[in-house]
Amino acid sequence: MTGHVKDKEAFQRLSFLYQAAHCVLAQNPENVELARFYCHTQKTISKRLVLRQDPSVKRTICKRCYSLLLPGITATVRQRRHYGQRRTVVRCLSCGLTKRFLNNPNYKLWSEQPEALLENQPKPEQNTIVQQNQQKEKKKAKPDTK
Amino acid sequence: MEGVIYKTLSSAEAKELNIQTQGPKESEAFVSAFLKRCLPGLREEVIQERLNRKAVILEHSVKQKKKQKRKRRKGLSAKEKRQLRLFEIKAEQQRYNLFLPLHNLWKQYIRDLCNGLRADTQPQMIQTKLLKADLHGSLVTVKKSKCPSYVGLSGIIVQETKHIFKIITKDDKLKAVPKCNTVFSVEVDDFISYIYGSRFQLRSSERSAKKFKMKGSIDL
Ligand SMILES: [Zn+2]
Repeated sequence: MTGHVKDKEAFQRLSFLYQAAHCVLAQNPENVELARFYCHTQKTISKRLVLRQDPSVKRTICKRCYSLLLPGITATVRQRRHYGQRRTVVRCLSCGLTKRFLNNPNYKLWSEQPEALLENQPKPEQNTIVQQNQQKEKKKAKPDTK
Repeated sequence: MEGVIYKTLSSAEAKELNIQTQGPKESEAFVSAFLKRCLPGLREEVIQERLNRKAVILEHSVKQKKKQKRKRRKGLSAKEKRQLRLFEIKAEQQRYNLFLPLHNLWKQYIRDLCNGLRADTQPQMIQTKLLKADLHGSLVTVKKSKCPSYVGLSGIIVQETKHIFKIITKDDKLKAVPKCNTVFSVEVDDFISYIYGSRFQLRSSERSAKKFKMKGSIDL
């Protein structure tokens, strides 16, 4: 299992709120306001505690009115061609804001790249400590020369 | 004085200074050619217009600022949010049955939060977890209140705002219960915790970042 995760409770809360929004909309598709409220709460919590959300979550929440974007219920998803590029256009049905995603099969999100994993990241701490020690030694050396 | 300055040079003086005098036509041609060279990009008519002497008004005139194009924003301002009534839920549409799955989801969430509820788990631990947990979907009962008509009300919390819990009761009624001066009880798998509403007057999103003080007198 993964080790201790900081702010685990907050992450659990975010996940619960996202699921709750889905749950509410699944029960009553008319209940957009409540799902929106949950998503808004989720967003403000993640802003407050500076917790990053996964792109898959961010892409399903409207940036303007915070409603949960579900294709066919609160959003329309269309394939459009623009300057020869095909793109997926998601349009929020309550406020009309659109999200556009290029259809690029080679595109990789940061979280999908191997460098993003914590184990693969270089550890900068040791280097800085060494540098600090060197600086200290230099400082010590200076008075001797005088 | 002016007459001396603008007088055309006499031929004698011109000869003395070695200057050729210009006729009016020649000078005009010179000026127009000179201006054309100096002011590229302007058409001849415009240059001619400039040459016509115009009255200059010596007055401070305030330059009218061009209206700046409104920036394209994605977000809404607080006013727009209020006007659109983004978060106001319609009471007629709410039914208790629709929120049972939400309640089940909440129970799962709390169990997960407390690493599985067992009979021997300490109630203290659950309380500290509950303090920062989300209450949407929990089944609450009003235990005490300054207003007696609220006492005994029970239902699922649908929405939590700064001062109000919106609760849906079993008979499909949406009640707004103020947190102030009210004590709620939350039941999770036979564990009952009390929420002192007066201490809970925060937006639900603010609660996860706030640190609660352990001590302090509580009065209704
Ligand atoms: Zn929207």
